[in-house]
Amino acid sequence: MADKATFEEDALQYARQLYSAALRMTRNPADAEDLVQETFLKAYRAYDSFEAGTNLKAWLYRILTNTFINKYRAESRRPKESELGDVEDLYMYRRIAVGDSAEASRSAEERVLDGLVEEDIKRAVEDLPEIFRIPVLLADLEGFSYKEIAEILDIPIGTVMSRLHRGRKAMEKRLWDYAEQRGLLPDEAERP
Amino acid sequence: MSSCDEALANLYAFLDSELDEVTAEEIKAHLDHCGGCGRPFDFERRLREVIRAKLDEDVPDEIIVRIRTVIALEAHG
Repeated sequence: MADKATFEEDALQYARQLYSAALRMTRNPADAEDLVQETFLKAYRAYDSFEAGTNLKAWLYRILTNTFINKYRAESRRPKESELGDVEDLYMYRRIAVGDSAEASRSAEERVLDGLVEEDIKRAVEDLPEIFRIPVLLADLEGFSYKEIAEILDIPIGTVMSRLHRGRKAMEKRLWDYAEQRGLLPDEAERP
Repeated sequence: MSSCDEALANLYAFLDSELDEVTAEEIKAHLDHCGGCGRPFDFERRLREVIRAKLDEDVPDEIIVRIRTVIALEAHG
């Protein structure tokens, strides 16, 4: 059992991270602030039932995620696995590679990676349907392990892996489109 | 399954540090001598760093104040 008196000291250190995730979930600052505030209030009320010494960060994300799903979710409650088309592996890499020259490819890669701006990355994440977006955020923004994500979302590890896989590939396709719009891609003539 | 197919199939799990030690070592050894796989792995790793860095947010300080306030109200209200 955790002690309510130490809640702020224990939990507040995660507030900023939770806010970043909340922002990508709700897609706007006002809702993100409300979501984080509600998460902390719920966590405080339930802190008696948190087992001290276990994974507090994962516990807070679980509350955040559930609160988001129950309150803010505009999409259908039924997960739609089919929402994302199948994207091939290494979507960006395969399109950037310039002929056989490692050097030319490397510079084309740098151009794309350096040229993508914050807004592109944020849009690419926010474009993902929620059932893919949340696992991708938990893994790539927060660095949670598959097992932790499975516990936070209450889904099997195999499902975490397949959603991450499909979500990341779909994101690459989006990023590729944004790179193209920004004129970051190698000229047609340079491509094989 | 060729080593290249196997490496590619495990790309995400490898970058996520989710493979068992033996498989991870096998893939590492494969990447050391296979340029065809080394480059895409390197690209994916750099892409991931870019994504993480650019998703970092400036968090408004009010959020901390708001949380402290609701907890204080809850505790003493």
